[in-house]
Amino acid sequence: MAGDLKTTPAVSARVRVAAGSWPAAVRAAGRGLVDAGAAEDRYVERCVANVEADGPYIVVAPGIALAHARPEDGALGLGVSVALLDAPVPFGHDANDPVDVVFAFCSPDRDSHVGLLGSLARQLVSGLADRLRAAADDEAATGVLKEVIADV
Amino acid sequence: MQLIHGNQGPVDELTVLTVCGVGMGTSLILRMTAEKVFSELGLRARVTATDASSARSMPADVVIGQELHTAEFEGRVPVVVAVDNFLDTGEMRDKLLAAMERAGWLVT
Repeated sequence: MAGDLKTTPAVSARVRVAAGSWPAAVRAAGRGLVDAGAAEDRYVERCVANVEADGPYIVVAPGIALAHARPEDGALGLGVSVALLDAPVPFGHDANDPVDVVFAFCSPDRDSHVGLLGSLARQLVSGLADRLRAAADDEAATGVLKEVIADV
Repeated sequence: MQLIHGNQGPVDELTVLTVCGVGMGTSLILRMTAEKVFSELGLRARVTATDASSARSMPADVVIGQELHTAEFEGRVPVVVAVDNFLDTGEMRDKLLAAMERAGWLVT
């Protein structure tokens, strides 16, 4: 991804991810941020630790989770990634389990991601999760996720 | 629709907090959904996304979040709304109106 990570989000998407558990699913999504150069390894572990400490509130809608930690937890830039699981996993959420679309994002500060998340929310309302589920490979899914950025 | 009663008596703008654990992810999604809901209802609201621990010291008419985070505000904030689907304006609207009615707030 070219450009300044402060302003241009790094994007990563993986299809057919075998997770088996929610921590593995969160790590798979977080790994995308690390591979894209947007976060350090420790950021991924904070994403997992936040759910362990605070419960499955990151499951924002049926089947959809949005993992993240704080900027100071090892975020290097603005990034968004998604892991599309080959089989849904329970997060322990009463209403929205099981989850098969796991997003992760990171932001270099407390404001840079606001536009990105707004676009993500708008796109999720208009069927982004199903478009991602239908993607044949990583490249196709990455292309779909990039629509989110185009909408910022 | 006009709100004719708030936390401090009659108000023309509600102070609304959307809360989550960290205060910069799910609470932001909630804020966007909440802004849509208040706008559809024709109610003026200033919606702030924050983490649950900061929200404890912030004055509010309405707190919206997952039950995990809203439970502690019951009895301290007049209108507490626990939602499951953060993207669903219909669920939030129904639960908001029910909570406002329970609080004895009149919406006409």
